[in-house]
Amino acid sequence: MAVSRRGFLGSLGLAGAGVAVASCSKDDTASDRPAKAPGGSGTVPFHGRHQAGIATPTQDQLAFAAFDLTTRSRSDLIDLLRTWTTAVVAMTSGQPVLGDSASDQVPPADTGEAAGLDPNQLTVTIGFGPSLFDGRFGLASRRPAALADLPALPGDQLDPGRCGGDIGIQACANDPQVAFHAMRNLNRLALGTASMRWSQLGFGKTASTSAAQATPRNLMGFKDGTRNIRGEDLATMSKYVWVDDESGQSWLNGGSYLVARRITMNIESWDHDFLADQQAVFGRHKVTGAPLTGQQEFDKPDFHAKDKAGEPVIPVDAHIRLASRENNGGLQILRRGYSFTDGMNARGQLDAGLFFLAYQKDPKQFVALQRKLGSMDALNEYISHTGSAVFACPPGVRDGNGYWGEGLFT
Amino acid sequence: MSRVSAGVRLAAPMALVAASGLLLAGCGVTESTKAKAGSNGVTISVTDDGCLPSPNSAKAGPLTFTVKNKNSSHVSEAELMQNGLILGEKENLTPGLSGSFSLRLQPGEYVVNCPNAKNDQATFTVTGKSSDTGTADESAQTAVDAYDKYVNNQAKTLVARVAPFVAAVKAGDIVKAKSLYAPARTYYEMIEPVAESFGDLDPEIDARVNDVANPKQWTGFHRIEKALWQDNSLAGMGPMADKLSADISKLQKLTASAKFQPAQIANGSVGLLDEVAKSKITGEEDRYSHTDLWDFDANVAGAREAFAVLQPVLQKKDPKLVSTINAQFGTVLKALEKYRQGGVYVNYSTVGAADRRQLTTIVTALSESLSKVAGEIV
Repeated sequence: MAVSRRGFLGSLGLAGAGVAVASCSKDDTASDRPAKAPGGSGTVPFHGRHQAGIATPTQDQLAFAAFDLTTRSRSDLIDLLRTWTTAVVAMTSGQPVLGDSASDQVPPADTGEAAGLDPNQLTVTIGFGPSLFDGRFGLASRRPAALADLPALPGDQLDPGRCGGDIGIQACANDPQVAFHAMRNLNRLALGTASMRWSQLGFGKTASTSAAQATPRNLMGFKDGTRNIRGEDLATMSKYVWVDDESGQSWLNGGSYLVARRITMNIESWDHDFLADQQAVFGRHKVTGAPLTGQQEFDKPDFHAKDKAGEPVIPVDAHIRLASRENNGGLQILRRGYSFTDGMNARGQLDAGLFFLAYQKDPKQFVALQRKLGSMDALNEYISHTGSAVFACPPGVRDGNGYWGEGLFT
Repeated sequence: MSRVSAGVRLAAPMALVAASGLLLAGCGVTESTKAKAGSNGVTISVTDDGCLPSPNSAKAGPLTFTVKNKNSSHVSEAELMQNGLILGEKENLTPGLSGSFSLRLQPGEYVVNCPNAKNDQATFTVTGKSSDTGTADESAQTAVDAYDKYVNNQAKTLVARVAPFVAAVKAGDIVKAKSLYAPARTYYEMIEPVAESFGDLDPEIDARVNDVANPKQWTGFHRIEKALWQDNSLAGMGPMADKLSADISKLQKLTASAKFQPAQIANGSVGLLDEVAKSKITGEEDRYSHTDLWDFDANVAGAREAFAVLQPVLQKKDPKLVSTINAQFGTVLKALEKYRQGGVYVNYSTVGAADRRQLTTIVTALSESLSKVAGEIV
């Protein structure tokens, strides 16, 4: 895999300890630091202990899809995972899907639209939904106990056509055409074995996952993910994101659970809300991103501070209060979501929002947070959850002989 | 010959080859042979003025034509034709682009055609003897003969089925004409890519109203379909019926003198399934009568026949692909069966969105597999 010549990440590699970006801690020498901020060009290594696309710096663009298997054959499923892995190794290293015929009477193996484009830090990450373990493929005994459809949650207005799936795939890159190309080719390679159940394109990351990245804004205009877990923070990643051996399923060791939620925003209503209320809803200043109790974005929120009238400065139903680790027993999740728009809805309003993606050691982390947010968050007036899925993401593929989810079949 | 830019025409038409003009070898010349066959290469330079082949003659045998659009924004394609049949073509060449096609040609006079150029035709001569042309692989020849026979039979049956339909339309018998519409079309839909290789013929027989530049010049099956199901009146349809009858006869005559190459048969089957996905499953094709499932069935039958004749050739090269494709045909046929009641297909408007999605999934999977066949049999 020709990665080292492309971009800074390749030269850093995936340390055995499991980080993609190994050189961002404060005591590194300047020469070890990224030559330029993430959001640029080059490759992110595919092989390693963990899958890329989780701890690695969030790219700008997303193509996500959930697939259902149309086969009932276990060997077809394995063939698909092998085929996909080979294609992803090629595409993430900036190569086309291989396998062209010598004849011009057949279609090219690769669809072609990424030819000549930089890999743009493409990562492709796979996860397995609860339904994959329903017995069709002899995997019932391999289902981790924590992998189950999410319970009904407050704030749900789910569209069944945007929920679930046997397999979820997240393709992220800094060029939308590169991300779409990856998803399109995986879909094509799946024809006859799996079909797309739903898909979502995302533009504009709504959370940074690296200290080297500036905090992006969501479509409500607020900085999002200021207090997100950083991929470089190994201790926190290990405590809240990576599955160890607690699942009782060794195939998942080194993996993570992905919760995907399509959160539709009532954009027009939000845009009519006065500034002080918008800030009260989040608990932050809109322009600077600072908590209402601070001056700078990264100032620690003071949830005890009171104003002259004796009311909390950060309101009791403010988003950052309800979601904070301080008020959730230390609980954290790694957010990796994207803004989305699918044009407009049938009523002529913008159909847009946040495609929320979060990685965690156990989906109950998200469930606990959403039970609280969905019932109390001031933000609920402006959002509804319209899609939902959960996937168990296997560990990374160690080398060129392996394939996605191999541990499930051995 | 000018071509109506009707949506019904496939992007990769199955070019037909006149019996007199071309031997039926699997003659898709591969990239590597192309490079070596320098002396057998012909360059067609496309400009606003025309499309001159260089050299303008060659010896019989395998030939690769490279079409180069030097700088013309008006002319974007060139075709090699004989007796009004397109043998090979390269389309959609914007200025600066080039592309190639390969054929095995017998001695004779050919025409290079480039629509929209000032002089849109040039002559190309193939010299030598027929025996120089080379011989086809025996099993490929068997496949070609079998498909040839199939096409001729379908075309003959088409003529026979269209006759009573045309008679009913001319007699103003709406009920009878309605009952004969779908069964007559079936035989057209089985061999549609063949018709599409005859330039204007397919649009004149099978265009939808949104395919034609001027709705007043809209002719064919679907014009009469609209009269039957939407207008409930056959007023003025007599000349339409006569024209359909004449066009179908013309099609039958042309197919009788046409032959195919194995790769064209294979990719024709892909074209038939793309027709299913694009215009049948959407309900676009038979929007007034909702008889789309009849056409769907016919497209699949035509694709299946094309695959069946090639199967012995493919079996030797890629048995796994053969079994995959056969299984996928089985899945599609089984799904279609669900909509057959008392020997006839249900009105397509009763087929719901989830079912249409399921049909799309299985047809697309089959089409992807079939698209790999041509590479194995040339």
